[in-house]
Amino acid sequence: MCVLCSGFLVQEHWSDVRTHPVRDREVTVGGPESRDRRRDRWMRMKMANAILQVYGLKLDDWNGSKYILRDVKGSTEIVQDWGELWPAVEKLARRPVDPLNPDFLARLKAAGGHN
Amino acid sequence: MRVSGKIPVTVLSGFLGSGKTSLLGRALRQGALRNTAVIVNEFGKIGLDHHLLSRVEERTVLLGGGCVCCSTREDLVAAFLELLRRASQDGRPDRVVIETTGLADPSPIWFTVLRHPVLQHHFDVERIVVTVDAVNGLLHLDRHAESVKQAAVADLIVLTKTDIASEASVRRLESRLRAINPAAAMMRTRPDDPDAPDLFPADRPLHAPSRALSEPSAPDRPSPHDGGTRSLSVRFDRPLDWNAFGLWLSMLLHARGVDILRVKGHLDLGGDGPVLLNGVQHIIHPPEHLEGWPNGERCSKIVFIMKGIEPQQVMDSLTAFQHVLGAAPERLADAEFAV
Repeated sequence: MCVLCSGFLVQEHWSDVRTHPVRDREVTVGGPESRDRRRDRWMRMKMANAILQVYGLKLDDWNGSKYILRDVKGSTEIVQDWGELWPAVEKLARRPVDPLNPDFLARLKAAGGHN
Repeated sequence: MRVSGKIPVTVLSGFLGSGKTSLLGRALRQGALRNTAVIVNEFGKIGLDHHLLSRVEERTVLLGGGCVCCSTREDLVAAFLELLRRASQDGRPDRVVIETTGLADPSPIWFTVLRHPVLQHHFDVERIVVTVDAVNGLLHLDRHAESVKQAAVADLIVLTKTDIASEASVRRLESRLRAINPAAAMMRTRPDDPDAPDLFPADRPLHAPSRALSEPSAPDRPSPHDGGTRSLSVRFDRPLDWNAFGLWLSMLLHARGVDILRVKGHLDLGGDGPVLLNGVQHIIHPPEHLEGWPNGERCSKIVFIMKGIEPQQVMDSLTAFQHVLGAAPERLADAEFAV
């Protein structure tokens, strides 16, 4: 249960599983681990935005617990994890996403592919 | 019992008449499966006696998207919950074996165990074992898409009836199966085999293929009958960024999950050991961290088994994403895929 938005989470998305054994704890209280987690989220967002710019979208953090996906006209979608991200991208961009699509890959390369 | 404390589940699948029940019966008689709960879809001729926990009628409930791999097998949920209820009274079993029907698709079972809100905390799919009949296996692969799908998602392929098939035809079948699924371990068995096939090793890391694929195989040569099943083995030259890889793979599975029959491998994320990656269609098993590098070789290797997707499409995508991923992909021959 998320205490900020009372969202009920049944499943942790596989991409949110922490892959470092030392940090693999159920509860993060504060201190350096909390800083690591925030840095991790910031890095994830930065990478996601490098890809989302191809669709004219931008992802922002919301209180360190969720993400907000926006288009240039101000429409927003709340996203919990990468499992929810891509359906939300398709909704706002009004087209299917496909990382194998040659046009998308060409635009990603043209956009720099990274920040 | 494993570190996670969850009860390991083995899915035993294989086409009609490929010897699933005989294999299971033999393993039970030889004592390899002490304290194992067995769930079967149909009664075979071989008596499973007191080992038999329950027989279930296959009952699949399609969820929202209507995608077959993301469907819950309600019959299994009921059987597993009953097993938990009994375990609280009589003690928990060391493992569960599910024997499917010959035409069953293993992916809904994977989905059911890994995604059900209760089951995911008590059970874990350890491996998918698929039996293939050495005599009729090629015919089944040619004629039945179910048989190709079963071979594609297997962790271990057991060739049965090898005593009544010629060596040449067994080799042809092995080569065909390796072209479909280069990541699966393969073993032969025959009815008079004194040892139950090693289906349930306790000392191997979860999901890691049980041995290296050392024999050269037909490199990724599709058969016209395999329904467009192609495989791609990739290696990365430098450690991958987990966040970036998660982003790319989640995007791929969202767009093409139905056609990614299996994704499997180990990832070098810069830590002391690899992270195991294991997925069937849309569903990725929670990644696990291993202590040491297999064969002492530090690198990332991933195999994709796909339907209707050309390996070059995935290579092009990984190459375009390489700046985000932090490493460039290099395509391997299937024989080089050794985890």
